[in-house]
Amino acid sequence: MFANYKINTIFMRVFVYAALIILLVVTIVPIWLLIVNATRSTTEIQQGLSLLPSTHLIENYKILLSKGLNMPRGFANSLFVAVVSTIVTVYFSMLTAYAIVVYEFKGKQLFSNFIIVLVLIPQQLSIVGFYQYMSKLGLVDNYASLILPLIANAGGTFFAKQYFESMLIQDLIDAARIDGANELGIFHLIMMPIAMPGAATLGIFAFVASWNNFFNAFILITSIEKYTLPMLVQTLRGDVYRTEYGAIYLGLAITVVPIIIIYALFSRFIVSGIAMGAVKE
Amino acid sequence: MGFSKVKKEYYGYLFIAPFVIGFLLFGLYPIYNTFALSFTNTTIMSSKAEFIGFQNFERLFADDFFWTAIKTTWLIWLLNFIPQIGIALLLSVWFTSTRLKIKAVGVWRAIFYLPNLLVPAAVAALFFSLFSFYGPVNQFMVRAGFLEEAMHYLQNRTVARSLVVFIQWWMWFGQTVIIVMAGMTSIPISLYEAAMVDGATAMQMFRRITLPLLKPILIYVFVTSLVGGMQMFDIPYLLTDSRGGPGNAILTNNIHMYLKFSSSKGHIGAASSVGVVVFIMTCICALGIFYFLRDKDSSSYDRSIRKLLPRKSTER
Repeated sequence: MFANYKINTIFMRVFVYAALIILLVVTIVPIWLLIVNATRSTTEIQQGLSLLPSTHLIENYKILLSKGLNMPRGFANSLFVAVVSTIVTVYFSMLTAYAIVVYEFKGKQLFSNFIIVLVLIPQQLSIVGFYQYMSKLGLVDNYASLILPLIANAGGTFFAKQYFESMLIQDLIDAARIDGANELGIFHLIMMPIAMPGAATLGIFAFVASWNNFFNAFILITSIEKYTLPMLVQTLRGDVYRTEYGAIYLGLAITVVPIIIIYALFSRFIVSGIAMGAVKE
Repeated sequence: MGFSKVKKEYYGYLFIAPFVIGFLLFGLYPIYNTFALSFTNTTIMSSKAEFIGFQNFERLFADDFFWTAIKTTWLIWLLNFIPQIGIALLLSVWFTSTRLKIKAVGVWRAIFYLPNLLVPAAVAALFFSLFSFYGPVNQFMVRAGFLEEAMHYLQNRTVARSLVVFIQWWMWFGQTVIIVMAGMTSIPISLYEAAMVDGATAMQMFRRITLPLLKPILIYVFVTSLVGGMQMFDIPYLLTDSRGGPGNAILTNNIHMYLKFSSSKGHIGAASSVGVVVFIMTCICALGIFYFLRDKDSSSYDRSIRKLLPRKSTER
């Protein structure tokens, strides 16, 4: 009976690993093909599949630029918007969450519940009203229209609140008060440095969200010099690049690889961060 | 210690002020404005706009295109969500099993999550290239003998729709695994030990312990996925002709809204009405899931909701 149980366990283990490997292949192959094809020439790509990189990376890059698509500028635009978005999201989310965790004020519980409801509100569906409002304010085709709404980032605030609640901070605040520190000083000079790991995790999510954002930028940004990478990517499918497969794959790889590098460096933070946003207590 | 209640209130309000002002200006007002626009015939091209009551909505409800978009969005979401949650439950059980002792759980999870971080616009363009006529998929299918001759995948309704379902699943199942697994590991092991002493089978333990205690997490996954799914845009928009084709097979609500918005005259009044209907539909469904799936005994969410609602029962 015991031997039977052991054999069953081994069988199950083999089956489970087989299933995991199939999922792994499905997950990786499209991304791997993207990166490999970015280094292969168009003729090589047309001749057949390969999972091995080739030597035409620089050639592809020259073709990519020769068709009038300004990838470096798109990259710089995306980076600028993502960095400012990250700073705004992290700072204001932490500030709001700190108030909920540390201070007592009337309507605090209501406000805290309201943020949870806000996380679930489909904001994208108000884009038309947002667009018309921004055009009245003269902020269409201005990065401010992408960044200002992040002052009230419900998801970020919810995450920061979970984080502050998980660290015991009241004693530290009391001690700082006895030393005569003022409240703004306590938040900026004492709490923010201590909360750095949480701020970093939140920052990674904010950065990725901004870097990947297509819909809002697509509606709100109109001049081609201000296009971010996801917007440039859609022009890659156009007629100019019809037969330049290597260049197309390279253009896609340029938008995707920075995120893969960030992930390779910080995957631990990211994975635990996702779980933290969902699991309460 | 010299830190009075009044002062605590003052700093509380001071610290949340930016959020509240930011929300009123850039969150609430746009929603209000979208609702207001949906009762007008505003276009981008003209400054004149009239209040036309429910005409936009009447036109919308009489429009087959609108119902197609609603049906398609629901279908694509359901078809990718069901395998997502199924695989997430399965993998979470495997990963947390003390019997199987799977190695390098963190690495598997991290890899499965990777597609979620990739720029969706680039993912759509990638699959567009992979499945194009001269693309690698055709090369493989023809050379391996699965197909007699190359085919136009993205002009086939079934293939295009299946592809959107697959891409959505591919991008989101890793995240669902991480969340569900975090929920499972937060269930106290002592419960399973007690059940084992009582001679419970693995299946019984899953149904009687894991599923009920996982409910809050499952509701969270369900609702966030639904809210996201109803707003699906990047993948179906960029995968084919940017009109939800072939034959409206991947026409989603947001594509429909965008097509009205970007029409030659820029009918933003009519576009708003699409946003409003989908907004209301999504909110009702999200609240409905909360209401019907909540624990009948008072959970913490329930209590907080009750505080928000006026007491009706005592008045009668």
